[in-house]
Amino acid sequence: MSEQILEVKDLVVHYETEDGCVRAVNNISFDIGKKKTLGLVGETGAGKTTTALSILNLVPNPPGVIKNGTILLDGTNILELSTSELEDVRGNDVAMIFQDPMTALNPVMTVGEQIAEAIELHQNATKEEAYNKAKEMLELVGIAASRAGDYPHQFSGGMRQRVVIAIALACSPKLLIADEPTTALDVTIQAQVLDLMKSLIKNRDMSMLLITHDLGVVAEVCDDVAVMYAGHIVEIGTADEVFNSTAHPYTEGLFNSLPNLKQRGEDLVPIPGMMPDPSNLPEGCTFAPRCPYATEACKSKLPELRDMGGTHKVACNAYDNPNFKLKGVH
Amino acid sequence: MGKTLLEVQNLKKYFNTPAGQLHAVDGLNFKLEEGTTLGIVGESGCGKSTAGRTILKLIEPTDGKIIFDGEDITNYSRRQMRKLRTEMQIIFQDPFSSLDPRKNVMQLISEPMIEHKMYKTKAEVEAHTLELMKIVGLAERYMNVYPHELDGGRRQRIGVARALAVNPKLIICDEPVSALDVSIQAQILNLLRELQRDRGLTFIFITHDLSVVKYFSDEIAVMYLGQMVEKADADELFANPIHPYTKALLSAIPIPVVGKEKPQRKLIKGEITSPVNLPDECRFAKRCEEYCESCNHGNPPLREVRPGHFVACHQCV
Repeated sequence: MSEQILEVKDLVVHYETEDGCVRAVNNISFDIGKKKTLGLVGETGAGKTTTALSILNLVPNPPGVIKNGTILLDGTNILELSTSELEDVRGNDVAMIFQDPMTALNPVMTVGEQIAEAIELHQNATKEEAYNKAKEMLELVGIAASRAGDYPHQFSGGMRQRVVIAIALACSPKLLIADEPTTALDVTIQAQVLDLMKSLIKNRDMSMLLITHDLGVVAEVCDDVAVMYAGHIVEIGTADEVFNSTAHPYTEGLFNSLPNLKQRGEDLVPIPGMMPDPSNLPEGCTFAPRCPYATEACKSKLPELRDMGGTHKVACNAYDNPNFKLKGVH
Repeated sequence: MGKTLLEVQNLKKYFNTPAGQLHAVDGLNFKLEEGTTLGIVGESGCGKSTAGRTILKLIEPTDGKIIFDGEDITNYSRRQMRKLRTEMQIIFQDPFSSLDPRKNVMQLISEPMIEHKMYKTKAEVEAHTLELMKIVGLAERYMNVYPHELDGGRRQRIGVARALAVNPKLIICDEPVSALDVSIQAQILNLLRELQRDRGLTFIFITHDLSVVKYFSDEIAVMYLGQMVEKADADELFANPIHPYTKALLSAIPIPVVGKEKPQRKLIKGEITSPVNLPDECRFAKRCEEYCESCNHGNPPLREVRPGHFVACHQCV
C-alpha cells in the first residue's frame, strides 16, 4: 500500500470542438497523501474543474478526451476501469461536492431519500436501514433528523450544502472532491461549512481535493496547495511553502491582487491582461504575456517544474538564473 | 466637511407577502458627502440591494425621505426622476445578465447618451463612446463586439462605461466585483477608484465582501435584517468593531495567511432569520453570543458610542 490515496501523472485533457482543440489540462501531475487536503487554486478557466472530473472519469465525452495520463486511486488506475467498475468507485470510494447546492439536489425527492439513495446503492442496505443511516448523516452535518422528510426548497443555501455534504460522506469515501463548496455561501455560513468539513474529514481519516479560487479558504483548510494556470500546475508545495516562500510570478500576482485586510488607501496591484484562451495557448510559458519578469526566452521555452527544496516545485524559466528572486508579496 | 450629496432619513421598504409584511429595509438613516464612499455590508437577505434600489427610486419607498443634492426626491414622479437619472446611476452585480445581448459594445455604451439626448450629432455620441471605452480600458477593436464574446471583466467594464456615460454624481455599485476572479476584481476596483479621484464621484458600494469594502470605503455601514447595526469610519470599524454581529462577520473572513498567528475565529450559529413579521426585540438576539434578558426589550436604536461610531445594541452602549 502506498502512502498516497491519489496519484495523478502526466494528465492531458482536451476538448475537441468544431472551433478547434481546447487544451484544458496540459500534462499535470500531483499526489494527495492519506488524510491530507490538497487545495487546487486558479482562475476561471484554469482547468481546475476538468482535473476534478477526470479523477472520476466524468469529463463529458464528446467533446472531452483524456489524451494521456494515469490516475491511480489507492493503486488502481481509474482510466482503465470499465463503466460498471467505475460506478462502484464513484460515490463509494470517491465522492464529489459541487459548487451550487441549489442545482445539485433533486427538487422532487425529500433530502432523507436522497441521502438514503446513495447508501442503498453502494452499501447493500435495505430501504429502512438506509433511511435510518440518512437521518444519522443529517444529524452529523448539523440538521435535525426530523427534517429528513423535507424537500430541498424548504432549506436555505447553507443547509442545502450541508445536505450535499451528507450525501457525499454517506458511504465514507476515501477521497472527497469538493469543487468550490462554499463559493455560493455568505461568509458567516462559509465559515460554518468549512469548520464542519474540516472536522468531518479529520474524524473519518479522509483525504480531500478542494478546488477554490479563494486563497483565504485554502489557508484555512489545506495542507498542500497546487496553483493552476491555463491548464498547467505552475507551483505546488505545502501551504507553508506556497504562502510563505511564494516562487511563481503568477502566485505572487494573485496575492498582490487581494484587497488585503490590513492595508487601505493604496492601489491594488492587479495582474495585467487576461488568461490566454485555452484553444489558442501561446508558445512557451503560458503566463509570459502577463508576467512582469518575462524575458525573450520565456516566449519560446515551456518551463518545467523544478525543485525548490522540500516538496516545493515551481514552473518558471526565470530560475534558470540561479540568482533570480521575486520582488516579494507586497 | 464637504457638501452633503445624499441624505436618507428613516427609509423604509416593506413588501406585502402572503405570510405577512416583509421588512426589507427598516429605517435607514445616513448622510453621504460628495466625493466619498459609503460601503454597505451584510449577508444575503439583509436588504442591502433593496436599499440601493430604493434610494434610486427604482422601487418606491414605503416611508422615509430621500434628499439628493438638496432636493427632497421622495415623492418625485417618474418623469421628474427621469431628468435625475443622469445624476445617479447604478452598476449591477452580474455583467452577464445586465447587458442586452443583442446590442454591441458601441450601442450599449452610447444608449444612455442617446436616451437622455445629451449630444446633438451622431459623431459627438460616437466620439464620447470611444472616449469612455478608453477611460474604462476597453480597446477600440471591441466596438462592434457583442457581450457574449467578452469575458466577465470586460463586460463589467461596459457596465461601468454605461454608468459613466451620463456624467453622474452618484453611482450605486451593487456587488460590482462579486462575479469576477481576484486578478480581474483588482483591475475593476482600481478603475473605480481612479474614476473617483479624477471625477469626484460619490459611491455607495454594496457588497458582502468585507475585504473589498474596507479597501474601497470611507465609511462602512453593517446591515442586518433591514437595519443598520453599526456604522463607522472604515478603519475604526475594522480596528474596534463593537456590535457582536460585526465582530462575527469580521472573524468569519478566511485570511490568506499560513503558519503565522491568526486571531481566534468566532463563529455565529444559525442563519439570518426571516424578515417577515419581526418581533419587537433585537433582531440579532437569536444568534447573539452576548444575549441576555434585556435584549428582549424592544429593537435597539442606533446610538453614537464614540464620535462618528454608531451601534445598535442593548449591551454595547
